[in-house]
Amino acid sequence: MLTIKNIHKSFGDNEILKGVDLSIDKGDVVVILGPSGSGKTTLLRCINFLEKADQGHATFGTIDVDFQNVKKKDVHAIRQRVAFVFQNYNLFTNKTALENVTEGLVIGRKIAKAEAIEIGKKALDKVGLSEKYDAYPSQLSGGQQQRVGIARAVALNPDIILFDEPTSALDPELVGEVLTVMKNIAKEGTTMLVVTHEMGFAKDVANRVIFMDGGVVVEEGSPHDIFVSPKEERTKKFLKRVIPEDYTFYI
Amino acid sequence: MMNYQFLVETFFVALSGVPIALLVTVVALLVALPLGFLLALTRINKIPVIHHLAKIYVSFVRGTPIIIQIFIIYSSIPLILKMVFEKYHITYDIYKINPIWYAFIVFAFSTTAILIEVFRSALGTIEKGQLEAAHAVGLTTFQAYRRIIIPQALVVAMPNICTATVNLIKATSLGYAMSLPEITLKAKVAANVGYNYVEAYLDIFIVYLILCSTVEYLFKRYEQHLSKYKVANA
Amino acid sequence: MEKYFDASYIWNAIPLLLPFLKVTFLVAGSSIVLGIFFGLLLAAAKLSSMKVLQKMANLYTTIMRCTPSIVLLFLVYYGVPALAENIGINLHAIETAFFVVVTFTLQFAAIMSEVIRSSYLAINKGQFEAAVSVGLTRFQAYRRIIFPQALVIALPNFGNAMIALLQEGALAYTIGLIDIVGKANLIIASNINAHALEIYIALAIVYWVLSIVIEKFFAMLEKFFGKGKITLETT
Repeated sequence: MLTIKNIHKSFGDNEILKGVDLSIDKGDVVVILGPSGSGKTTLLRCINFLEKADQGHATFGTIDVDFQNVKKKDVHAIRQRVAFVFQNYNLFTNKTALENVTEGLVIGRKIAKAEAIEIGKKALDKVGLSEKYDAYPSQLSGGQQQRVGIARAVALNPDIILFDEPTSALDPELVGEVLTVMKNIAKEGTTMLVVTHEMGFAKDVANRVIFMDGGVVVEEGSPHDIFVSPKEERTKKFLKRVIPEDYTFYI
Repeated sequence: MMNYQFLVETFFVALSGVPIALLVTVVALLVALPLGFLLALTRINKIPVIHHLAKIYVSFVRGTPIIIQIFIIYSSIPLILKMVFEKYHITYDIYKINPIWYAFIVFAFSTTAILIEVFRSALGTIEKGQLEAAHAVGLTTFQAYRRIIIPQALVVAMPNICTATVNLIKATSLGYAMSLPEITLKAKVAANVGYNYVEAYLDIFIVYLILCSTVEYLFKRYEQHLSKYKVANA
Repeated sequence: MEKYFDASYIWNAIPLLLPFLKVTFLVAGSSIVLGIFFGLLLAAAKLSSMKVLQKMANLYTTIMRCTPSIVLLFLVYYGVPALAENIGINLHAIETAFFVVVTFTLQFAAIMSEVIRSSYLAINKGQFEAAVSVGLTRFQAYRRIIFPQALVIALPNFGNAMIALLQEGALAYTIGLIDIVGKANLIIASNINAHALEIYIALAIVYWVLSIVIEKFFAMLEKFFGKGKITLETT
């Protein structure tokens, strides 16, 4: 459904992505792990054209694009099918929770307002915010804001949702509520590509884990492959650093 | 056709008005900086009566064109003096007073009000903890202000003080209304002879441009110097 | 003997002055509308990626910031007809109001470009990213997300700029515009220069009230458009 080939991206002299390949099928929940600066976030942002990749090729369903020369029309078409959940939520500060969710439906997709409100309410209900339709972002906690962010993505009924470290801006006690929501939508068969540091989520929910370092994919496989029997030295080192010694996996 | 000889000659005429413009600016600032700061403190600490008066004063200056403030002060001071002089039988021709005194009063009056607001908002950005910490290490309130609060507030206020200064220099161009022989009036008088107004105003324009951009540049340099303690965080 | 100061002149002058606010408003209003338009263009130039455009727009703003209104006013009043004459257009018979509007448009555009630029920059880049990520086009993102937020941030500065423009506009009498200041001077002349102080005080009162009204109006607008900023009221 989504295939990325040989994507490259530099910021000035700093090459962040050095030719990454990626392929995701419908219903996949793929988690990208890696140390900071490994290019995970940049990869995600390039897929949604929030950053302009220097070279590479992408196929989204029937749309084929070369990153060097993308047409505006294709960017727009792809964004209509890909949703994004931001690390710092990026809720529209001038709109209520419900308006945040319906904005893309009414304006981007030209769905009738009444219908959009229906969809929006359902999405907010799904993330446990039925009480907060009319709250502005400034009235919500970080965890609630991120749940609105997820509802905003889900409501678009996209082919895939990209999650860019959705819990790393949250206080520890709020991480759980967001992860629970993500687990629930994964169970419904939503295709997800998730950059996160939450190992538990990767282990429990992902069907594929990708380990990135230094702008390349070092290793990928099932959670079992990566966490229990990693092949690459760099993967082992990383996991040793982020997972405590006495942590055991039940897979 | 442009009269280039006049243009060059008048440039120096306009330039000769710079000292007066700068003198008025400096005197006004020397009065307005401390006075504005003190009145800002009365506003922040809500000193009864004074802070209300200060509020009305600021509102008046911000709410009325400076040319009208000039008109009012320039026409009321002689009236007041005349009454005072008649009462005490002083014989002094009030029309002999050098207009620069009026200019000092007018511009100190308006700049003080502007600086009250500048200092008020700058002091508002300094966290209360700074004063508390200063007290905690044994400084008196006066010492805390002098050594901790004011230096920090000054950095915050600097860009606005710069704007106020540039506006003040520009406002001295209204000195013509008090017959003050500054940049604008001098060049204009020179132009009256042969109606070379375009040239004269071009000269005036260039002189202010040089003057104000130099002042802006100096402020920027000073600001960098003052805010060196902030670089460590960046 | 006649009194030095007679307050009744103040109250008698105000009704004579008020009708001439029309001229003041017309000139200020035209300058504001045109100034916003050119200010937008200037701000776009400052925010563009083209170095030349940025430099030019910044230079223009610096020049305007460093020029006293009265100097600009006379430069336009004498300079524009002289320039026009060079290319064969006669502007000598044109209304003074035209030159006043040109002057304050030039000045207001520079101020507005800074107001617009800074409020645009105050908006988190993520707002735009989120907007395009939910499928809005660039234009829709600007119109529905960025612009409404920028407007709220710009409002106080915009209000201040408007008050400043109104006050600088008081200088228009120097080139012969009969606005309220021009009218005040006419009244004084008809009194053979007596009681000038009272008339000026009347003038000051009109401006003062006007400024306060504008200030309050903008505070109201800010409250109205500032939804999403309320943190404590509802919930």
